[in-house]
Amino acid sequence: MSAIVTSGLTKHYGGGPHLPGREREVVRALDDVSIEVRPGEVFGFLGPNGAGKTTLIRVLLGFLHPTAGSARVLDLDVARAGVEVRRRVGYLPGGIALYDALSGTELLDFLGSFYGRPPALRGRLVDGLELPARDLARPIRDYSRGMRQKLGIVQALQHDPELAILDEPSEGLDPLMQRAFYAIIDERRAAGRTVFFSSHVLSEVERLCDRVAIVRAGRLVAVEEIDALLAQRRRSVEMRLAGPAPALAGVPGVADLVVVGDRLRCAVDGDMGPFLAAIAGAPVADLTIEPARLEDAFLELYEEAGS
Amino acid sequence: MSGILLRRMIAAWRPRLVIVCAALALWGFLLPGVYATFGADFRQLVESGLFGDMFKVFDAFGANVFTLSGTLAFGLVHPIAIALVAVFAVGYPVAAVAGERQRGTLEVLLARPIARRTLWLTHLVVTVGSVAACVTAVEAGMVVGAVAFGVAAELPVDGLTLAWLNAVVLFAAIGSLGLAASVSSDRLGPALGVTLAITIAGYAVEILGTLWPDAAWLRPASLFFYFQPMEVLAGRANPGDPLVLGAVAVGAAAWAWWVFPRRDLAAPS
Repeated sequence: MSAIVTSGLTKHYGGGPHLPGREREVVRALDDVSIEVRPGEVFGFLGPNGAGKTTLIRVLLGFLHPTAGSARVLDLDVARAGVEVRRRVGYLPGGIALYDALSGTELLDFLGSFYGRPPALRGRLVDGLELPARDLARPIRDYSRGMRQKLGIVQALQHDPELAILDEPSEGLDPLMQRAFYAIIDERRAAGRTVFFSSHVLSEVERLCDRVAIVRAGRLVAVEEIDALLAQRRRSVEMRLAGPAPALAGVPGVADLVVVGDRLRCAVDGDMGPFLAAIAGAPVADLTIEPARLEDAFLELYEEAGS
Repeated sequence: MSGILLRRMIAAWRPRLVIVCAALALWGFLLPGVYATFGADFRQLVESGLFGDMFKVFDAFGANVFTLSGTLAFGLVHPIAIALVAVFAVGYPVAAVAGERQRGTLEVLLARPIARRTLWLTHLVVTVGSVAACVTAVEAGMVVGAVAFGVAAELPVDGLTLAWLNAVVLFAAIGSLGLAASVSSDRLGPALGVTLAITIAGYAVEILGTLWPDAAWLRPASLFFYFQPMEVLAGRANPGDPLVLGAVAVGAAAWAWWVFPRRDLAAPS
């Protein structure tokens, strides 16, 4: 059983009958998106603002009806079994709005009461995110943006959902709380739960995710294992030489070779083996290999898709 | 219907309901007082011919307003009473979905295992229950006032029961229309505008048609045409009136039942 499966999922806005001369342009928010999220994995959904990340999430939760295609969550059709899907899912909306008149505790009690089971994880979550009882007793209208986001994370996860769907979860959290949030995601993974989250913070996705889907203008650009994605990417190499430069021209994967004085710069794509074999025995005084970063991979894939 | 949601909504709106019901009860209490204090003098003044046909205009309402029944009926259709009940017949249902949608809290709520129709039905129950409480408050005030001012013997008891039913169905119809507008809209403004337009225009048409015979043909288009408390309290209730209002309520509910689960709830802007 997959945690999430979408098949040719398409969502268009606008169009339809309008007054003559006032036709609305069709916005293709999602176009033929097919992904599969495996149980127990942390899956990142990556793309800039307006790429379609939130639209996909809203289709998964039944807020939006797809124009074409289908989506299943925890083996349930989201169009037919929306209530059962939401019983087993925890959801954090992007830029969450809360009932300001309630206290934090009242809100968590109210939202948690719909699941018919105790909020087993609430204690650990409020401790981890440093939400003391004193703060939870205050009205939400007095909360800062970061505290609202922390409360949003707690309400999404407190009932120990099989699948957590989080839209921009670390938005508004300070670096310390981001770290606490990452620890929570690691715990979810260790407990065998699935996490699907959208983000445009690449370092966060790289740190947390097993796999990532990259979306651009509603179309899926790539779905890859993070490690595989990074392994394929170009690394930047710089070395200081204590003698003649090694012969790197023609070595598989090596590109952009420049030698100036005792400095050698090049880029290495994919497997590092041939490059390392070629410099073995060379008079290298210093060597710096900049690790492949998701940011580079993301930009590269984006440029490819754009062209 | 969701019991959890019902308790939450009642808790959230209880302070407003208590204030509105207290104001309506006070309004109802004062009406027998006005009648007991000034009714006889007014009647003498009108019958003296001193003011010509000036007060004959009230005859158009179908009964003599200078009786206890007439005074109570006038109080039930007075703009003060209508405006107070409209807090729950218009304000609550419009805010219930479109307001939450605009604030973004609807998304948080509907992420729970709760069907949209359950949410709508719960709001409908709260709406109907609230307007019933409001009408009960005003009529309870009338009864207490009649006793306090020594005119209880003139109370049209049977008529008050029928007027209660007719008024509740009227405001339930407005509430059902408000909820239908609310589930159909992404923003509070359009839902509130539509519901207020139906209510205010309907009220204006009924008053205009009552006072101006040339505009009388418009009256059946107004919901208020089907609530004639002077006739009801005088024992001349038209049983078709609550049925028409009930049909409007059911029609609006059917619309909401059909539309709400089928529409997209895009991210709040």
